[in-house]
Amino acid sequence: MAAHPKSIPNTQPSYLEGGGLAGWLATADHKRIAVLYGASALVFMAVGGMEAMLIRAQLWQPDNNLVSAATFNMLFTMHGTTMVFLVVMPLLLGFFGNFMIPLQIGARDVAFPRLNALSFWLAIAAAIVLHLGWIRGGLPNAGWFGYANLTELYYSPDLAIDWWVLGLLISGTSTVLTGLNFLTTIVTMRAPGMTYLRMPMFIWALMVTSILILIAFPPLTVGLIFLLMDRFFGTHFYVATAGATPILWQHLFWLFGHPEVYIMALPAFGIISEIIPAFSRKPLFGYPMMAYSIALIAFLSYGVWGHHMFATGMGPVADSAFAITSMLIAIPTGVKIFSWIATIWGGSLRMTVAFYFALGMILEFTIGGLSGIMHASAPVDLQQTDSYFVVAHFHYVLFGGVMFTILGAFYYWWPKITGRMLDERLGKIQFWLTVIGFNGTFFPMHFLGMWGMPRRIYTYGADMGWTTLNQFETLSAFVLGFSFLIFYFNIARSLIWGERAPADPWDGRGLEWSVPSPPPVYNFAKIPAIRGRDAWWIIKYGRAGSRGIAAYVSGRPPAMPEAEPLDVSGIHMPAQSYFPIVLALGIVLAALGLIIEWYRIIAMGVLVAIVSVIGMGFEYPGYGKEVHDPEHAPSAGEVDVRKVGVWSFIGSECVFFASLISTFIVYKSRSIGAPGPEILEIPLTSVSTFILLMSSLLMVLALAATQRGDARWQKIWLGGTIAFGMIFLAGQVYEFTHFYDEGMGLSTNLFSQSFYTMVGFHGAHVAIGVIWLSALMAAALMGRLDSSRALSVELAGLYWHFVDVVWIVIFTLVYLMQTVKGG
Amino acid sequence: MSEQAGTQAAHEQARHPGTATYLIIAAFLVVLTAMEITVFYVHALRPVLVPLLLILAAAKFALVAMFYMHLKYDDWLLSGIFVFPLIIAAVLLTSLVLLFAYLSHHLAPIA
Repeated sequence: MAAHPKSIPNTQPSYLEGGGLAGWLATADHKRIAVLYGASALVFMAVGGMEAMLIRAQLWQPDNNLVSAATFNMLFTMHGTTMVFLVVMPLLLGFFGNFMIPLQIGARDVAFPRLNALSFWLAIAAAIVLHLGWIRGGLPNAGWFGYANLTELYYSPDLAIDWWVLGLLISGTSTVLTGLNFLTTIVTMRAPGMTYLRMPMFIWALMVTSILILIAFPPLTVGLIFLLMDRFFGTHFYVATAGATPILWQHLFWLFGHPEVYIMALPAFGIISEIIPAFSRKPLFGYPMMAYSIALIAFLSYGVWGHHMFATGMGPVADSAFAITSMLIAIPTGVKIFSWIATIWGGSLRMTVAFYFALGMILEFTIGGLSGIMHASAPVDLQQTDSYFVVAHFHYVLFGGVMFTILGAFYYWWPKITGRMLDERLGKIQFWLTVIGFNGTFFPMHFLGMWGMPRRIYTYGADMGWTTLNQFETLSAFVLGFSFLIFYFNIARSLIWGERAPADPWDGRGLEWSVPSPPPVYNFAKIPAIRGRDAWWIIKYGRAGSRGIAAYVSGRPPAMPEAEPLDVSGIHMPAQSYFPIVLALGIVLAALGLIIEWYRIIAMGVLVAIVSVIGMGFEYPGYGKEVHDPEHAPSAGEVDVRKVGVWSFIGSECVFFASLISTFIVYKSRSIGAPGPEILEIPLTSVSTFILLMSSLLMVLALAATQRGDARWQKIWLGGTIAFGMIFLAGQVYEFTHFYDEGMGLSTNLFSQSFYTMVGFHGAHVAIGVIWLSALMAAALMGRLDSSRALSVELAGLYWHFVDVVWIVIFTLVYLMQTVKGG
Repeated sequence: MSEQAGTQAAHEQARHPGTATYLIIAAFLVVLTAMEITVFYVHALRPVLVPLLLILAAAKFALVAMFYMHLKYDDWLLSGIFVFPLIIAAVLLTSLVLLFAYLSHHLAPIA
């Protein structure tokens, strides 16, 4: 370790000190939340790893009966689900993302600290729900992709899939809130001078990943809602005999599932782009192209979902389109590989463990990428699909590409996070065992797949010729498992006996190295001014140093800034809150009650959740005030963080409703029997439409009245908006009741179930809007909604208008185009 | 702080359109909705029903987004955050409808 010649003294208490248990349970500090994510993910990594060991042990020899077929199904389902949702995403986003975003952009916290805490506790709630099958009903067992119609009640009558559906719904909510929070933080809270093209590459990756989260998770949410309705309320969204098609699930799942690969890979690309320049002593090669290629990868990743479905027979045009986009995505990915290599080329290399893992990642990920291009070709894919070749491919991407990065990131950022060094010697032993174990486990799977070994089988016959390679893989898997034991030991050793880390142990380039290790609660005593990329390197070595390694090689000592001022008493930091953990508890209770059909528990859980949401809204007397901390000055002009947050949510909702509406259009034509679209009544709905449109007028008038401080008209217009909203809802209740009387129940046919679900969700949004506006009305009546809180009215208005525009689309596509045939 | 926030509100109000604009937009929305309903009932327009309705709905959508949601007056960043997912949503909807249309027309119906 080349310790920095001068280190910033850690004279202030670190974020790890003080508060006791309560200080952790109620924390809103991004760093503590990150540590909570990291700790829980390490626990689940051990669980997922042991599941993998059991899978490999079962496949050790032909006709093995170490575990039953049913247990094997649970093992591979929970291994995939755990690793994706409870390990990789929490580590990349929740742990490293949460910790590093404010530190790298020069902020004191994320945009919505309590929402951040809620995201974490929801993630824990999801993990609990996913594992409640241990107690009752069995663990989920239909694969991490949960293909319909295997997940339908007929084929999976026990509770396992119910736990899985609810767990993923909660997990998805948590992730979307994280994406919204990160995006808002990055676009509004960067330090002065940090333009988009001066952001660290990890921040670029997280910004694009956040956008991807917001547009990729809604289709999964909709798919899960359909499945939940099928299992709980008797609908038939994926039942072929009712005219539905299980293919719908595949589309909705892979619309999420392929971007999800990049939700995991892009942050990894960002981390590698931090590690390699740090240990090559060079700025990242081709920074703008790296940034644009991240954006391009994300964009293309949304158009390649069909390559997971070549075997379903989408037709030559669709197959060709998906093949082309899948091949195109290799171009920006290749740009990244070459940029990393060019960064290393000619650098002054330091062979630390973090750098070892970065180099390993480049090699292993490239192998996974090459086999991925093979899958882009539909005819080739048809030979490989559902074989062990695919298992090899995605493990080279997700383990070779992502897990190698995560391990490297641990060695790189652990000193900053904990203030302790990890042992480099142990790390290098771990690295080589990981390389040997990983390649030994997964490379032979390419051959087994080409020889015809299907994935997900729990055993195989001795006459298949697969035994030797399977035994080699199993031995290698245990070597890999042993490497993780070393990793866990290294972590424990570091926490107990580890060498104290200086502020800048690697002579780093980003702002995170400018603060003590571990950082103080407020991160920066003074928000830094940014003069270019590699902000901390520029501060240390001057601008010339950022362009090459001349300053370093010449031996010129870094020009360290003066020690931070000690008077930090005026810094405002987010206060603690118990509501996030209580809200998550309420959701677990509601999920538990729903599955065991104990309605009092559902009611209790829902009540706890509602009280918590209201409590969070009014917890601090300054709610809704337009607070501007001059030191937290947004770098994106005058855009308020809450406005960006609400718009991000609305953007995500666009994709949610698009998924619902497209399902309606498709199923309208496939619906069997009456009633059909002819039951829809245009006159009644036209009146409802006029009322909702006019409620939008009243809403903007209420905002204008609030802005000019006109309390009387503010209340009148707000009251009018609420009244019109309730009239619209009453119309919807009448319409539903009327249809029900006409014989159109929820599960009558595809038309009825997709209509009720889509329009019902819109109605639920209107109802939430009415509740939101009623809370504002109550504040207005108490005289607490003056012009200084106009933004609160504007934000509620944005949501209300969005509900209005969604109805404009539904009214046209569903009601007025009722005679037009769908898909 | 309250004074600062009040000034901010006044600044926002100055950037947003006034009551007259809001009323004009409402009138447009009413007229466009009336046109939509008319198009639905006029049989002669059936051949162009879909494009006409889509254009009218898009116009209403744009008016609400630009004037009532203030995208016309706010930072471009907010428009980007809204319009990008909106385009994705439109592409998703179109893609799914086309993919299933192919399935319906080219594959044997499921028994």
